[in-house]
Amino acid sequence: MTAAYSALTSRFSQWRAELGLPQPGTVENIQKEVKSTHLNNFIFDGARADLTKSLSINPVFQVTHSFALGSQVSQPSYNFGAIFANQNVFLQGGVDHDGNVNARLNQGWSAGNVTKVQAQFSQQAGHNMIQLEQDYQGADFSANLKAINPSPVDLTGIYVGNYLQSLSKNIALGFETLYQRPTPDMSESTTSYLAKYTSNDRNWIATAQVQSAGVVLATYWQRLSEKLEVAGELQLMTNSTRRDAIATLGAKYDLRVATFRAQLDSSGKVSALLEQRFTPFFAFLVSGELDHFKNAAKVGVGIMLESTSLTPEEMGMPPQI
Amino acid sequence: MPSEETKESIIKAVELGRTLLHYGWIPLIIYVGFTQSDPQPSLIKLISPLA
Repeated sequence: MTAAYSALTSRFSQWRAELGLPQPGTVENIQKEVKSTHLNNFIFDGARADLTKSLSINPVFQVTHSFALGSQVSQPSYNFGAIFANQNVFLQGGVDHDGNVNARLNQGWSAGNVTKVQAQFSQQAGHNMIQLEQDYQGADFSANLKAINPSPVDLTGIYVGNYLQSLSKNIALGFETLYQRPTPDMSESTTSYLAKYTSNDRNWIATAQVQSAGVVLATYWQRLSEKLEVAGELQLMTNSTRRDAIATLGAKYDLRVATFRAQLDSSGKVSALLEQRFTPFFAFLVSGELDHFKNAAKVGVGIMLESTSLTPEEMGMPPQI
Repeated sequence: MPSEETKESIIKAVELGRTLLHYGWIPLIIYVGFTQSDPQPSLIKLISPLA
């Protein structure tokens, strides 16, 4: 009986391997290409300076001092960060001038099997957060389980599970379930569905995500040439109370010494970000955003300085003559 | 279901661990990085943004 069962499962896994399905990527990174083309994650206002110091290359050990000032939306701040990484472990920590600490720990067990912990510690009550995460990537699927602020006493917290499976060379389908338990006698779960289409040459990717509250998110990303990537995003909200839609179009140019991102959205915002690298260790950033409907503007300038305590030989560069 | 006393001690242990990590996480990374780095950096270069 067991022999027949194991023969069946090995037959099944062999048949599955013969299909040659690609790894679909993770649910978290399903819009990774779009997010790196759009500048929502990169834009800033006011002035900022990031001083990064590499103290070791293998294992990676870096400390960063970040200063930000003159922003319309946030207070002037100072942040100290440290990163340590070797083949299996990634440790990251940051502390700001108010003493708020954020922490990140990734432990890899084997290829595609990673445990992640993220936490935030603050003096203020209610600003503390911990997130435990287990990520598994198989040959043609990826799965992820998360627990946010789980309480060992009464199991309250937020739990998220997701799964993405390649169905053909191009198509991957998945779902994400969110289970919320704010008090022991109250719980609620919602599921959203995902689809991803990758072209044969991986030069364009389309994704769609349908959430239960009537929110639909569709994205499209295309690499037009080695230097130019474009991405579009459409977010639709159709509840009984609210109907709304936002479309965003963006482009990213990767030039030899500069990266330029430009973005236009249907809420009237036009924004751009230029990152100019004068030397490998010095970059200058300019960002701007114009909100035509609200008649508001934001401007930001920044520098990124990298220094190292290592000699060129220690960094693996050929010796200079 | 655990008793009230166990619950209380679990909450206390979580609170203690949280405080330890709050003050100890950055020093832990610096300690690990400092001891594992190759070559070992000097302390002044580690802390000062300008050195």
